[in-house]
Amino acid sequence: MSVPRPADRPRAAPTVEIVDRRCFTVVSAGRTYGLPVEHIHTVFEMTAVTPVPLAPPAVLGLINLRGKIVTAVSLRRRLRADASEPDGSRIAVGIDYRNENFALVVDEVGDVLTLEKAAAIAMPPHLGAEGVPIEAVYRLEGLILPILDLEWVLTFGKERS
Amino acid sequence: MDELLNDFLAETSEHLEAAATQLVMFETDPSNAAIVSSIFRLVHTIKGTCGFLGLTRLEALTHAAEAVIGRLRDGRAATPEMVSLILAAVDRIKLILTSIEADAAEPPGDDAALIGELEAQLDAVEFGEAAEAARLEPMLASAPIPFAAPATPSTGDVAKRSETIRVDVSSLERIMVLVSELVLTRNQLLEIHRRKEDEAVKAPMQRLSSLTSDLQDSVMRARMQPLSRLFSRLPRLIRELAVETRKKLTLVIDGGETELDRQLIEVVRDPLTHILRNAADHGIELPAERLAAGKPEAGTVRISASHEAGYIAVSIADDGRGLDIERIKDKALARGLVAAADVDDLQPEQVYRFIFLPEFSTAAVVTSISGRGVGLDVVRENIETIGGSINVTSTLGKGTSFNLKIPLTLAIAPSLIVEAGQQRFALPQQSVVEAIGLGEGSSHRVEHVQGAMVLRLREAVVPLVDLHDTFGLPRDAARARLAVVMRFGALSFAVLVDSVADVQEIVVKPLGASLAHLSMFSGHTILGDGSVVLILDPVGLARSHGLTQSLELGVQHIPERFIPPREQTRLVLFRAGGGALKVVPLSLISRIESATGAIGVSDGMLVMQHRGFLMPLLTLNGGGTVEDAADHPVLVLGIGGESVGLVVDEILDIVEDFLDIEIASGSPGVIGSARIARDVVEVIDTSHFVKLARPDALARGIVSRFSVLLVDDRLFFRDMLAPLLAAAGYRVTTAQSGRDALFLLSQGAVFHAIVTDTDMPDMDGYSLTREIKRDPRNANLPVIALAANTAPIIGEAAAASGMCGVVGKFDRAALIAMLRDNLDVQTLGPHGLEERIIREFAA
Repeated sequence: MSVPRPADRPRAAPTVEIVDRRCFTVVSAGRTYGLPVEHIHTVFEMTAVTPVPLAPPAVLGLINLRGKIVTAVSLRRRLRADASEPDGSRIAVGIDYRNENFALVVDEVGDVLTLEKAAAIAMPPHLGAEGVPIEAVYRLEGLILPILDLEWVLTFGKERS
Repeated sequence: MDELLNDFLAETSEHLEAAATQLVMFETDPSNAAIVSSIFRLVHTIKGTCGFLGLTRLEALTHAAEAVIGRLRDGRAATPEMVSLILAAVDRIKLILTSIEADAAEPPGDDAALIGELEAQLDAVEFGEAAEAARLEPMLASAPIPFAAPATPSTGDVAKRSETIRVDVSSLERIMVLVSELVLTRNQLLEIHRRKEDEAVKAPMQRLSSLTSDLQDSVMRARMQPLSRLFSRLPRLIRELAVETRKKLTLVIDGGETELDRQLIEVVRDPLTHILRNAADHGIELPAERLAAGKPEAGTVRISASHEAGYIAVSIADDGRGLDIERIKDKALARGLVAAADVDDLQPEQVYRFIFLPEFSTAAVVTSISGRGVGLDVVRENIETIGGSINVTSTLGKGTSFNLKIPLTLAIAPSLIVEAGQQRFALPQQSVVEAIGLGEGSSHRVEHVQGAMVLRLREAVVPLVDLHDTFGLPRDAARARLAVVMRFGALSFAVLVDSVADVQEIVVKPLGASLAHLSMFSGHTILGDGSVVLILDPVGLARSHGLTQSLELGVQHIPERFIPPREQTRLVLFRAGGGALKVVPLSLISRIESATGAIGVSDGMLVMQHRGFLMPLLTLNGGGTVEDAADHPVLVLGIGGESVGLVVDEILDIVEDFLDIEIASGSPGVIGSARIARDVVEVIDTSHFVKLARPDALARGIVSRFSVLLVDDRLFFRDMLAPLLAAAGYRVTTAQSGRDALFLLSQGAVFHAIVTDTDMPDMDGYSLTREIKRDPRNANLPVIALAANTAPIIGEAAAASGMCGVVGKFDRAALIAMLRDNLDVQTLGPHGLEERIIREFAA
């Protein structure tokens, strides 16, 4: 089931300037993160999830998204690197990345923001301390927004099960 | 029409079509380098091929045209005359091609006028450069005959051609994907309809259903191609092979009209070629040999294809010398792939399977044709990746036949939908033999042996894989249980599930890259009700449980098995540690004691007084307390004067029976499972317990003599030194190259010392040693160099590469002495133990 969202429109608008970037905000475990908007194509509510035995802990399972099989990844588990972290959320962001279809499961979805280059701030040194690589940090009104590195989010250890 | 010519025409017309737009652009923009070089390539390709096919007229024309286009490509400015000449040449090429298509031959007449004009252009561009013109001079002499348009197509071949169109493969693939989706949607609808029957919908529903099936069928058919496409290249290959091998070869092809999915045709191409090369190279004898054997001089390779139920069978049979089963056995033994004890029990079918292992070639001579590393293992792998199978049958002196089974298509597979722990999985039906109920009253029994489950299936015992355990799924005791028996080549195993939910045709979709490492799944699919299920990969499943290896490779793990084969063994049958009954050969037990009184704990280990010495006591599951052991029977394993006691619950019997390990074990302490009388029993690996209690004893090679690997490329030295070493009390394995030696080590073979020739082709002894020493586990493995002489420089090189010494090749005494010195470092006690073991072996 698809919820109409600002992100549910065609990919990156042609007017994007090189200096500014657009990102999509999501909330996981009470914190707001930005995701690069280019790879996001839909936001939807998950129904049936087929668990994948022996899969990396971040993988919640497989879902049928309009006839396509996508891999559901829990952002919560990914950020905490904790396999036992329960993730009861049903809200997922459809992402096409490296020719693979993912559904990133988050607690809440926000808006598409246009980030001006001027708002970028130096990376606070303690930000990567939890082992979560942050691509960039932006200062917005009332919010410091870290942009997640999708490459990292969607690369999960294969050795654990 | 000749298949090659046909291919050429089809390809060329495709190229010409593609070039059509470029030609138009060329007209308007003749200086565009990209377009010019693309047209150049087109003409060049045609020229190359038609020379090969003997189309001289076309060759002359394309040659001249190519020269002119070549000038343009080199950066000459194009004149309008040149452009129109080139276009005229291309038109003429098309006309000639059309005519060839109709008559399978070049039309009469020549193109001297056109060629002359082309030459003139060349001359105009490059003053006096008329080398080409001179060559073409004779043609200019004949009068230019204008090209006659081909008459109406006359042959049936042409009529057929006019009815076919070439479709881009990708658009066919696209249709296939859409049809697959349609099938899924249809299934979904059917599912809904089944739950909520509606008379009004019923008829159209059925119609939709059958139409979809028909559509699916038609699209599949459209992707099908006759195998003759593949076979058409083989006669040429055989001709080449005949020349190369100096043999007389005849190729007989049957069933070329059999159709196969085009994707699969591509996959089958290489294996087929490889097997054919093998047949020509190794299978068929030289003409003289054949005559001597009373066979016709020319060897025949027969390739036949036929459509069987659900798959295509292709066999490649030669009437050559056949596989030498003894040689394969020898090689397998030398490689350590099978224990000497087992080798005679192997069925021919099992022996032949060895030839599909990596780097397993019995060819004595490596020729340019085969034996270059790409072996039958790759063939087997290719075939198995597409869900097919390969086996070989052979009669010595009569010939060999490779039989391939290839699924009709990859895209859609009939599958069993099974349920385990409330989750559904798809199991490809192709490998399913039967499903067996295990509920109350079932005649088939599941038994737990050495921590693993086996299924007693009529006469056989097959390993049983429990999906609940494998995947950590919740178990529902109330559910009926089913064992789905699968067969894979020579391997049978069963999968334990709760139930079979359905049988469905599923569209196999590969797993995404981030899950592709899960080898137990071959893909996923969407079922009729819209849910996603994972497709189980029987091969991956078997492999992850260690099942394929032991069956494919004979015996994979090297640990010694000192159970005499095929003669009755006296066995102590006892109960210990729960689970199945256990046995141990009586010959390994020196006494049976009772653990009374004098039990204590020393250094964390249970010990008891035994003949005035302390003897370590072990239980089957390790550890144990004094209470556990008290008053229990103890099997005393007498190993070279040092004893180890094995505490058991109850000694039941001493039986005499054939001891055949039916399932090799992966767990420590157990050799495997066997059937004794009517019971499945575990055969205990005593060496494991000795290792636990007396680690030093094992380091000395309790269960075997020291094992020495002798590496020399020359048979003479291997034959000379191996018996010498054996006589000195070592167990000798030989390898004829560094590569073979490394292979043995990589397979887990254990050697206590390596003796290697220094001067070998391919990989010398020094490099071999460095390679061996790269593995830190081999740091203390003594490597002794064999050299023609013991010059100081050799000694230095040997030391530098990690060898422990050099001996002359003919200096037997020095070799034995050096081996003993180096191995004595590992020895902690006297040799009495080894001598006793040798005596036991001899007995």
